[in-house]
Amino acid sequence: MKAGLLNLDRRIIFLCVFLGVAIPLLVPFALPVRITEPVRAIHAQIERVAEQGGVVLMSFDYGPGSEAEVQPMAKAVLRHCFKRKVKVVAICLWPDAPGLAQAAIELAAGEFGARYGQDYVYMGYKPGAYSVVLNMGQEFKSAFPQDTRGTPADSLEVLKGVGALSDFSFVFDLAAGNSIDQWWIPYGQEKYKFALGVGCTAVMAPDMFPFLQSGQLAGLIGGLAGAAEYEALLGIPGSATAGMQAQSITHLVIIAFILLGNLLYFLSRRRGGG
Amino acid sequence: MLFLRRTLPLSLALIFGLLGIATYYIPHQASQDLEKALALWLRIVSAFAFFLGLFSLLNFHWRRIRQQQAGWGYSLVTYLSFALTAFFVLYNDGQGPFEPQAEAGGYQWLYQYVQVPCGSTMFSILAFFIASAAYRTFRARTSEATILLVAAVVVMLGRVPLGALISDYLPLAAEWLMDVPNLAAKRAILLGVSLGAIATSLRIIFGIERSYLGGEEK
Amino acid sequence: MSRDRVLFVGFVLAFVLLNAILLVTGKLSANWTGLGVITAAGFSLALYSFLYQDNPLFKFAEHVYVGVAAAYTFGQVWFPTLYSELIASFAGQANGAPASAWLAAPALLGLLMMTRVSRRWGWLSRYAFAFVVGLGAGLTIPRTISAFLLSQIEPTIRPLSWSIEGFNLLIILIGVVSVLIYFFFSVEHTGVVGRVSRVGIWFLMVSFGASFGYTIMARLSLLIGRVSFLLSDWLHLID
Repeated sequence: MKAGLLNLDRRIIFLCVFLGVAIPLLVPFALPVRITEPVRAIHAQIERVAEQGGVVLMSFDYGPGSEAEVQPMAKAVLRHCFKRKVKVVAICLWPDAPGLAQAAIELAAGEFGARYGQDYVYMGYKPGAYSVVLNMGQEFKSAFPQDTRGTPADSLEVLKGVGALSDFSFVFDLAAGNSIDQWWIPYGQEKYKFALGVGCTAVMAPDMFPFLQSGQLAGLIGGLAGAAEYEALLGIPGSATAGMQAQSITHLVIIAFILLGNLLYFLSRRRGGG
Repeated sequence: MLFLRRTLPLSLALIFGLLGIATYYIPHQASQDLEKALALWLRIVSAFAFFLGLFSLLNFHWRRIRQQQAGWGYSLVTYLSFALTAFFVLYNDGQGPFEPQAEAGGYQWLYQYVQVPCGSTMFSILAFFIASAAYRTFRARTSEATILLVAAVVVMLGRVPLGALISDYLPLAAEWLMDVPNLAAKRAILLGVSLGAIATSLRIIFGIERSYLGGEEK
Repeated sequence: MSRDRVLFVGFVLAFVLLNAILLVTGKLSANWTGLGVITAAGFSLALYSFLYQDNPLFKFAEHVYVGVAAAYTFGQVWFPTLYSELIASFAGQANGAPASAWLAAPALLGLLMMTRVSRRWGWLSRYAFAFVVGLGAGLTIPRTISAFLLSQIEPTIRPLSWSIEGFNLLIILIGVVSVLIYFFFSVEHTGVVGRVSRVGIWFLMVSFGASFGYTIMARLSLLIGRVSFLLSDWLHLID
């Protein structure tokens, strides 16, 4: 029987994982979300910009493969900005991002009555990766001479007073790849010393901690759990909060499988005289 | 001919490499203007690089169709879906390709209802395979593997709300693991990788590393 | 009919029937949005069918995705850069982007890059690659030294103190040094070096365990997103 369990058909494991996700979504229950310091730091940055006045640059550097994790945090931060009347300039440095960026911006702007051109602008996507960051560091409008509607950057009210990256009060990168440690930090923050925060996938989050401790990053929202924390700080629950129940249960399912696998392995080794 | 095929490109790499370094350290306005121009050039050349990848993809599927290799019907599907989407790109919701990109239209529909779901689903399939692989192969055979297992379990429980319900110490332990030992290891890896990147960049600038030239006559 | 064929046909029929019910009951609207949701659900389920077994539905969905993604990226390269910064600039149609004769140089380099596909003229692409790779290497060096070496070494060697923060800094210092020693393979890992690199391995194991935990978290989050879509936007079983 042990051998049979050790060689369990993987489709049974798939089914258990699926049920671990689906059942909590169908039968939701409340779970308190604990806020961590890196997420609180991002919230504090937006509050600072709201109090001092200023413009936030949000860079959408993720695609459909990370949408479920990063889109909730994009919406949460945008809601925070529009709620506190913080001006937002949105750009994309990832080719798959524009549609997702537009959807998040329109949703949040619609909820808080933010006006295009006066409260926010969307400059679209530019290829070139780190060279765009380099360009923006010298002169923002040379990297993005017009927005997605063809309006010249010079005539956009939100961009008045914005010459280069250092003129933004806070830069927030929504990342799914190497944009933060290969583009934004070495080509932007390192030279121009602006406040830089990141919202990234959980896969990337462990790599960001050295930059948090060194002060190169002002804050970090990592994965869906981080997005849920931000929603809790904002008091506006969204898809991230709703996903935490499923996340918790499925983590238990996977840990149970790992422990079961180890138990069966050690039992079968003992039986085999190993 | 060797001069045009090898020496001149390597000389260009040297010149632009040294310019890239120099513009960082020279604060003079002329140097900063040059850096700005070079960054703009880099952006524009990068845009053309996409077409190389596109050609490679279409060529691969074209050869499969032409030679009627196994599964060539699927290559035809790729071509048809590319053609349909490209049509909507150029149609641009009736404005044509020589106007700013429209915010609605077939192009956006295909992105929202085909590309996004397919991309999300492809990556989410990994969740199942990770669970299956963890059950079959994640064994605490050695002390190192046990450390890895314990760290993984603590982080998995500590980062979700259920962990705080099980024990107040779980989230604290997870945070400490990330802020201290994880940070130390990641920083050391970052330092090592950075030294390697600097060494490779110097090799490229001085023409020792030539693989980027491609083809023969390196 | 084999079992797999029966399952395949049954799956397709069930999908069609389910959508018909959703349309008739008004849960899905009979317009482009409703069609879009059905299309998205169909592609998601077709891709998930791979979990049972590789099959034609999965392959079809996979190849459609590749074609659509390639053309979408073409659009993202065309509109913001090739059209608005190059063609519109030269044609004098650009708003706010002055035409500059210097733009001919990167345009020419870009065109040279495309010669890579030709066996006879492919050597011309070396000029473009030499520019991109050489300049990239030059830009990388000083920034890597500043952002990754100096900025990371400084917080590692901060003064220690008799506090929790000081203790943590000591652990970080030990960790960084021991892991760097572990990766130094020019010296044999025996004696003191061997013991220190063993400590480095423990730090690496903690880091890999944390990364593994976070990776599981990430993949499950993506699955939660997809299942949410299917249960909410498609089947309307949850709000």
